Amino acid sequence: MTPVLSDALRAFGLAALQAVFLLAMAPLLKTLIKMMKARLQNRQGPPLLQGYYDLAKLLRKETVRSETASWVFVAGPRVYFAAAVSATTLVPVLISAAPLEAAGGVLLLVGTLALGRFALATAALDTGSPFGGMGSSRDMTIAALAEPALMLGLFTSGLAAGTLNLGALARSALQHGVTFHPSDVLAFAGLFIIVLAETGRVPVDNPATHLELTMIHEAMLLEYSGPDLALVEWASAVKELLYLTLLVDLFMPVGMATSAEPVALLMALVAWAGKVFVLAIAVTITESMNAKLRLFRVPELVSISLGLAFLALTIRFL
Amino acid sequence: MSVVSTVATALGVAEEVVREVRAGELALEVERSNLPALADRVFLGLEGRLLSLFASDERQATGRFVVRQVWSLPGHRTFLHVAAPIDPALPSFPSISAKYPVANWFEREVMDLFGLVPEGHPNLARVALHDDWPEGAWPLRKDFPADRIVPRVQGDFHPFRPVTGEGVFQVPVGPVHAGIIEPGHFRFGVAGEPILYLQLRLFYVHKGTEKRFERLPWRHGVFLAESISGDTSVGHALAYAHAIERLANVEPPPRARALRVVLLELERLYNHTADIGGVATDVAFSVAASRAQTLREGLLRLQDDLFGSRLMRSVVALGGLRRDVSPEGLIKLRKHLEHFGKEFDDLIRLLNDAGSFGDRVDGTGILTQQAARDLGIVGMAARASGLDMDLRRDHPHDAYEGLRFEVPVEQGGDVRARLTVRAREVAQSLSIVRQVLDAMPPLSSASFRHPMPTRLPPRASALGWAEAWRGPCTHWIATDERGEIARVKITDPSFLNWPGIVQAVPGNIIPDFPVINKSFNFSYSGNDR
Repeated sequence: MTPVLSDALRAFGLAALQAVFLLAMAPLLKTLIKMMKARLQNRQGPPLLQGYYDLAKLLRKETVRSETASWVFVAGPRVYFAAAVSATTLVPVLISAAPLEAAGGVLLLVGTLALGRFALATAALDTGSPFGGMGSSRDMTIAALAEPALMLGLFTSGLAAGTLNLGALARSALQHGVTFHPSDVLAFAGLFIIVLAETGRVPVDNPATHLELTMIHEAMLLEYSGPDLALVEWASAVKELLYLTLLVDLFMPVGMATSAEPVALLMALVAWAGKVFVLAIAVTITESMNAKLRLFRVPELVSISLGLAFLALTIRFL
Repeated sequence: MSVVSTVATALGVAEEVVREVRAGELALEVERSNLPALADRVFLGLEGRLLSLFASDERQATGRFVVRQVWSLPGHRTFLHVAAPIDPALPSFPSISAKYPVANWFEREVMDLFGLVPEGHPNLARVALHDDWPEGAWPLRKDFPADRIVPRVQGDFHPFRPVTGEGVFQVPVGPVHAGIIEPGHFRFGVAGEPILYLQLRLFYVHKGTEKRFERLPWRHGVFLAESISGDTSVGHALAYAHAIERLANVEPPPRARALRVVLLELERLYNHTADIGGVATDVAFSVAASRAQTLREGLLRLQDDLFGSRLMRSVVALGGLRRDVSPEGLIKLRKHLEHFGKEFDDLIRLLNDAGSFGDRVDGTGILTQQAARDLGIVGMAARASGLDMDLRRDHPHDAYEGLRFEVPVEQGGDVRARLTVRAREVAQSLSIVRQVLDAMPPLSSASFRHPMPTRLPPRASALGWAEAWRGPCTHWIATDERGEIARVKITDPSFLNWPGIVQAVPGNIIPDFPVINKSFNFSYSGNDR
């Protein structure tokens, strides 16, 4: 075997491992936030494993599809899921290197996630139900603003490190440690807002609502059932975990393993879980303390994020 | 000058024509052709408010249908019944809807259920019956057997207003919704997110309750009245009981009247609390929402404890109450409400302090005072749009006569104004219950229920009313020649108020509709009956 080929195989093996790892952990994060939210409301909340039960239930159920649905409707959840899983291979999680970082960096990540979003939004339009259309239009409106802000935020970090490769970015962040450079603080605040928007959290969207007229992400899923729905739910959970991991990578790299040594990996796992947990608490508190924004005010919020990212970028040049 | 002569003068009729049926109820019979002119006089001369408009089938006794109106004359502290006999050979009556939109749904309902056509009505589409119901089957006519099953017919699509224009489209929502709520169809005409107009289609839960009453012994009616709208069980039970008691000329003992006030105010408290929480839920302000839920649950448990029923069912009885409350129970009630009052103030502070919440409710869903007046909006919704009305003050029932309370009125007409009116009403309710408890007539045997006569007077009618938490619940009850029920007309405030939302919504965006809807929280069941 040539070294190139074996390197590639090794990378794919790691990529598969990392994808499976994030797929396995994602439902836990979702339930954890639900649980903490419930506690803040003096409610019991779901058991920690509820996310898995839900997925298992959906996967066992039959799929009901509208008679007017075409292949686009079928393809939507699959592409969305595939995109989320592919994206997991581009982000460093425990080790300061992404399995497939050779394939591309920030732009590939944003592009892959955008592809999934496009597939889901198109699929939601497919049945002709008014809610699907409403969800798609709202989701795309927000995406059109959030994606540039996300890229700008990531570019700020990229500018500091001189690379757009996420693995290299993490390594550079690890090398410099937590700097509390004003630029980092601003970029983090900007990106946190984007993460809330991208993962459908209050104040942008309400993941717990039953009101179809107010939904954004959920409105696109109203026509889905069974395994199709499971794919979307699972992929959304993975996306959320991925975004939080990205924030951890760029701004709180402490504890990340630099090699695949078991002890270092174990330490990295604890550190990663702890940092994601802290971010999950931040998400929970934001969700509990705020009402959802009026839909037409969401662009203002995203603009704030864009402004923060722009400031952060400017400070880098000073 | 007596009330009768004042009213007769204002209406331009001879004094003998206006009859005082009993305290607080005047009656007047007119030719059907005089209905529009009379409506003008009642609206302008007496500042009357139309509370109900309906028909009754009296062909067996007099060979006529009768179209009836019930007006509230708050300035004179009396209701005015207007009756216009209709010859079955000419089944129509002049409409007043074009001038007084408050009559719109009422007149169409008469058309649907009795086959009497309101001549000159601007929109003669069905309202109570759906479009798959056959022509010529009028369920409230006496010759329509209550157990008759009508075939479903291929009807036309309901004539919704079409939409035209570039980028303008319709969003149909319901009757089945994503959450567990009652069914109703909303059709939005929208340009993107902004709503141009809204059309409603209700009556998906029409149960024929009024027809059911006609076969029910009057003694059993309270149970049916309680189920007209689950969240207004006390309101409707009281309206029914009041009507029967007025027919039988029975006055419940003072303790029962005092406790009835407590029941009605508790119903107001738990519903206002739940709806304030509901508004918070709809804008995803979850902490406030669950605090409101907790407060509501506390009240329901207290009610279960005191009356044996969480929603206070089977407590009101004809002639008084079915059961009394022990002195320890009343102490518990007082303590609980003291605690509730503090917690409720905290909740309101939490909502008022949250900028993100204020941003969602300020200026959202404005029902202007003019629109509310024209549409005849009643109750809490009317008070939030600057209309000062409350049957508890204007036509006192039970023990309200001697109580001191203010009627909160807000001018904004938006979601915030409705929240504020609710919050202020909660404070008033707490004060009312405190006053009642302070002056509670003592417990003594059989002091909570006056015996009812064995028979009601034949061929009589009476109005029962109660200002429930949404607004006035009225029951008009007529007896036949045996003294059994011939007709019950139930008017839930929701029936008067639903058209208000059509005016409150345009100009807002679709995702704000649920919170506007929740701030009113009309009953589907009470509307559809």
